[in-house]
Amino acid sequence: MKHILIVDDASTVRMYHRNILEAAGYTVDEAVNGIEALEKALTGKFDLYIVDINMPKMDGYEFLQQLRREPMHQAPAVMVSTEAAELDHTKAYFSGANLYMVKPIKPLQMMTYVRLLMGEESA
Amino acid sequence: MALKKSRKKNTTQSQNEKRDCNQIRNELLSDDASSRRWAARDIVNCPGATHMLLDQLNNEEEPSVRQVILSSLTQLGDSEAVEGLVNCLRSEDASLRNEAIEAMKQLPEEVAPIMATLLNDPDPDVRIFAVNILESLCHDDVEQWLVSVIRDDEHVNVCATAVDLLGEVGSEISIEALTGLKDRFTEEPYIQFAADLAMKRISGD
Amino acid sequence: MSDHNISEHDFDKFAEFFYRKTGIKFEPSKRYFVDKRLTERMRETGSDSFRHYFTTLRFQASGEELQRLTNLLTVNETYFMREDYQFRCLIDSMLPDVISRHDPRKPIRIWCIPSSSGEEPYSIAMYLLEEWEGINDWDVELIASDIDTQILATAQKGIYSERSIRNVPASWKRRYFKSVPGGHQVSEDIRDAVEFTRINLSEPADVRSMRNIDIIFCRNLLIYFDDKSRKVAAEYMYEAMSPGGYICLGHTESMGRISPLYRVKKFPAAIVYQRPLEAK
Ligand SMILES: C[S@@+](CC[C@H](N)C(=O)[O-])C[C@H]1O[C@@H](n2cnc3c(N)ncnc32)[C@H](O)[C@@H]1O
Repeated sequence: MKHILIVDDASTVRMYHRNILEAAGYTVDEAVNGIEALEKALTGKFDLYIVDINMPKMDGYEFLQQLRREPMHQAPAVMVSTEAAELDHTKAYFSGANLYMVKPIKPLQMMTYVRLLMGEESA
Repeated sequence: MALKKSRKKNTTQSQNEKRDCNQIRNELLSDDASSRRWAARDIVNCPGATHMLLDQLNNEEEPSVRQVILSSLTQLGDSEAVEGLVNCLRSEDASLRNEAIEAMKQLPEEVAPIMATLLNDPDPDVRIFAVNILESLCHDDVEQWLVSVIRDDEHVNVCATAVDLLGEVGSEISIEALTGLKDRFTEEPYIQFAADLAMKRISGD
Repeated sequence: MSDHNISEHDFDKFAEFFYRKTGIKFEPSKRYFVDKRLTERMRETGSDSFRHYFTTLRFQASGEELQRLTNLLTVNETYFMREDYQFRCLIDSMLPDVISRHDPRKPIRIWCIPSSSGEEPYSIAMYLLEEWEGINDWDVELIASDIDTQILATAQKGIYSERSIRNVPASWKRRYFKSVPGGHQVSEDIRDAVEFTRINLSEPADVRSMRNIDIIFCRNLLIYFDDKSRKVAAEYMYEAMSPGGYICLGHTESMGRISPLYRVKKFPAAIVYQRPLEAK
């Protein structure tokens, strides 16, 4: 079973994403900021990361940059944020994101991209 | 070789203790990061500290020094410090923005008077940060502020952030606005989900 | 009338708040444990409802109530070999890394703060002597600090109950403890190897004297501090540490709630935090 890490400081967002992903048969773990996400990522094994940008202590960019230094942890990452600004796009990819999405995310849209990134057939 | 006690007794009150404010100000500009960190701590007792720290914050590249500057600004917590922190909310640098939010969360009383202005800022990101800061504000108006956000703010993500917090601090008086929010964003599954959750938490069933 | 009933939604709100503050997550299966302690605190603080108590918890300026509750919700008994996977990590990973770039003429410096009644620094001393080959080539200074001078005096005496040493391997017990009236006393050479000093981790003048520390054990202290003092304490420790030095926190504590200064480092036995090597 595929395992996904959701990184977001808002508990409602984490629950919402969790519901969508669990309904599609994935297992999910959560972290509230980049440092906690790193701890979980380095000790666990994830097939995908869904990462918010603005978070306390360590933001999403920094998390991905540090994660991408670890050769064993190169699973795809979706970065989600509130703004569609061009600059954020560029920075997200530069930090190691594979996809950038703007909140709020619709379940169908989420599932399409998650499946795509994990190399699965779309349903 | 073995376990042994440290030989030199702690030289108490190291060289730094007896520095005057001029020296501290110079050290804030030193090339050595450790000197800058200590200067950023010690300067809080000198006149004009807030101003110097804000200047340095904008130029400082070493993250560890920035952290100490923010801690000292939080300790000073005057209106000038708050104003400087507000400017950081507009920075392109995500970590500086988030650090400023955290510092402002520690200054609820100083931030409360400018809350209404922040919540009406033209930049939706600044409004989102303002809602983030509300989380730590112990103020009679917090719920009312959140209600106005979800009733009036055009931007879906500002509302989304407010709903998240209402689930924690909201009471019966928010229910109507939450229902209204669902009607405003019928096409947004996230808002439907978040508003329902908040209402469930508020009414407790 | 007071209503000490805690609904499922109250529990969820509380669990999320507590997780955000401390990093400790209580699943619904822990409800009985948590509810019992919440009710106890509600009664003792004279709160008339969960809502009332929750407001105190969130906004009390001193943070005292949150600290009390955290105390009730965590285990804070200290004993020999507590969380010893970190000592394993010290021997297997942190020390080998530290010595790879350490000046051989200088001692390795390890700092336990808070040391409490001494179980932790003495456990480390024994681990170093028993498990670390490097002890033949390197000098190690072991410094143990606490804010409480009385507890430091107890530590220096080094007399412990059977219960406190229950996890010490039998052969180590024979080597490093002797029976005395009132319990088991740590042998003199171990007691002599640890330097006890009084330090308040929130007091800059105290912390400023600490320099060139290679490894810090700061376990089960920061969780009781408020956000601001926690962050400042992490900054002081950063100052006390050599670049590349390591810090170990208690198993319920995470740097994720404290400060972004350190790098997360994963070793086989434990997750620890490192002051970045290149940082100045
Ligand atoms: C729960 S014990 C932790 C003992 C040991 N490290 C462990 O994990 O088992 C907490 C200790 O922190 C000490 N303490 C509390 N505030 C302190 C401060 N500001 N500076 C240094 N020590 C402090 C107390 O005296 C107490 O001995």
